[in-house]
Amino acid sequence: MRRVAVIGVGVTKFGKHDRTSAELFAAAAADAITDAGIAPSAIQALYFGNVTGGETERQLHMGPLAATLLGLPTVPTTRFENACATSHVAFRHAVMEIASGVSDVVLVGGAERVLNVPTESATEFFAYCSDASLEQPAGLTFPGVFALIARAHMDKYGTTEEQMAHVAVKNHRHGVLNPKAQFQKEISLETVLKSAYVADPLKLFDCCPFTDGGAALVLASEDVARRHRRPIWVLGSHAATDTMFVHEKRDLSRVTATERAAQGAYRQAGKTPTDVDVVELHDCFTIAEIVATEGLGFFEPGTGGLAAEKGWTSLGGKLPVNPSGGLKAKGHPIGATGAAQIAEIVTQLRGEADRRQVDGARTGLTHTLGGNTATVVVSLFGRD
Amino acid sequence: MTERVINLKTFFEEARAGRLTGIRCGRCGELAIPPKEFCAGCGQRDWQPVPLAGPGTIVSFTVIRVAPRGRGGEVPYAVAVVRLEEGVSLLGRIVDIPFEALKAGLPVRFRPVQIDTQSLIGFGPA
Repeated sequence: MRRVAVIGVGVTKFGKHDRTSAELFAAAAADAITDAGIAPSAIQALYFGNVTGGETERQLHMGPLAATLLGLPTVPTTRFENACATSHVAFRHAVMEIASGVSDVVLVGGAERVLNVPTESATEFFAYCSDASLEQPAGLTFPGVFALIARAHMDKYGTTEEQMAHVAVKNHRHGVLNPKAQFQKEISLETVLKSAYVADPLKLFDCCPFTDGGAALVLASEDVARRHRRPIWVLGSHAATDTMFVHEKRDLSRVTATERAAQGAYRQAGKTPTDVDVVELHDCFTIAEIVATEGLGFFEPGTGGLAAEKGWTSLGGKLPVNPSGGLKAKGHPIGATGAAQIAEIVTQLRGEADRRQVDGARTGLTHTLGGNTATVVVSLFGRD
Repeated sequence: MTERVINLKTFFEEARAGRLTGIRCGRCGELAIPPKEFCAGCGQRDWQPVPLAGPGTIVSFTVIRVAPRGRGGEVPYAVAVVRLEEGVSLLGRIVDIPFEALKAGLPVRFRPVQIDTQSLIGFGPA
C-alpha cells in the first residue's frame, strides 16, 4: 500500500449560513485546493459526505452537484452517510483509493445545513440515525442516548455533572481562539450547571449545537505530496462498528467501537496513546469526550472526568483535547465534522494553529463517532 | 436453511400488543431482541422464539425534556434500558413511576403503553 498525505485543508466558518450544503462544501473545497497549491484539474475523485440534505434541503445526489458548483463537473463522486461520522468514513475510503494506487489526488469532505429548519425538526432528522422500529417510537433522542451513557458512567465510576461541565467550559475556552468556531465566547461552570435539562443528566450546555458548515481535504500519494509544502502523513485510519440498538450495548459506560477503532489505528501507525501530542475527538456531548478519552487509551476507565476537572486535556495540559473548541464550541455540521477535525490536526501538525497551537506537536489523532455509538473512525497523523 | 421465525415488524407489533418474545439461538443459547439472521455469538442461523415473562430491572434511564417533532406534547417522559430476568435487555418508555424514584437496579415490569393512537413498548412498576 502507498503512503498518503493531506496536502490541503479548507473549512468554512461554522454557524448559520444562507448557502446550501453543496455550496458550503464547494467553498471549503476551493480553499483546500488553493491551500494544496494544485490545479483543480488534478482532482481525480470526490468523496462527499452529507446526512440530512434529503430532509432539510430536499436535495439528494449532492456529490455531482457539489462537483458542478466547484467547477469540476466531470470528476467521479460518491456520497457517504454514516451519521455524525460521515466525512471521517469518506476520508478513510479516499485514503484507500490513493493507497491502492487507483488515484493520486482525491478531494474528500462534507457539509451539512440544519439551521434552516426548526430545532424540533432537526432533532427529528438526527433521530433518524437511530433505529426506526424501536428507538424512534420510544421517543429516544440523541441527547437521550448519551444521557443513558452518562448515567451508566456516573453509576459505575462516580463521574459528576460538574466534571462533565468542565469539558464544556474547556472547549468554549478553546473556541475563543478559533476564528472559524460557531461560539467564540467563554462560559462559566455555573452557566453549564444552571442550564436546563435536555435529557437528564445532560443539560443544554452539555450538548453541542446544531450547525451549518462545510469542510474539505485534498489527499495525495507520496509522489505528488513530496512536490507540495509540508505534507501531513496519514499514519493509520481504522473504522469500527457496534450494534445499532442501545439496549444491546454490553456496557453503556463504554464505547467499544472507539476502543476497537483506536486499537486498529494505533497498530497501523505503530504508535501508542503516549505518542499522541494533540487530539480532536467527538464531543457531541460532554460525557462523550470523557468516555472517548478513556476508550482511546489516554486515561484509565473511570478517570476521564477527573482528567477534565484537573485541566489535563486543556491547551497547556498534558494532552490537549479539542484545541479547535471541539463540536461543543466550534460547532457540529454532522456531514462535515470528521473532515473539519482532520483539518484542525493538519493545521496543528503544520504549526499553523496560531493562538491555539499545541507547541511542538508531531503526532495527532482524530476520532469521530456516528449515531448510537454504532460507527467510529480513528485516524493518526504525523509530520516529517 | 432455517425459516425466519419472526421479523422486525411483527416482533415489535406483537410486543406492543403485550406479547413479549425473544429469540434463542439453538446452537449456543444466546438470547436476543430483536431477531437477526445470524447469531452474533456463534454465527449460526438456528433461532427459536422464547416468550419473555416481563419482569426486569433498570440498567440506565433518562428523562427526555426536548422531544422530536410531533412528540412535544409528551415531554417530560422517561426512557430506560431494562435488563429482563431472562438476561436480555430492551429499551422502552417508563410509565407510572415518579422520575425521582428512578435508579439503576429498580425492578420494573414490561407492559405496552398507549399514547394517542400509538402503542409503545413500556415498563411500569414491578
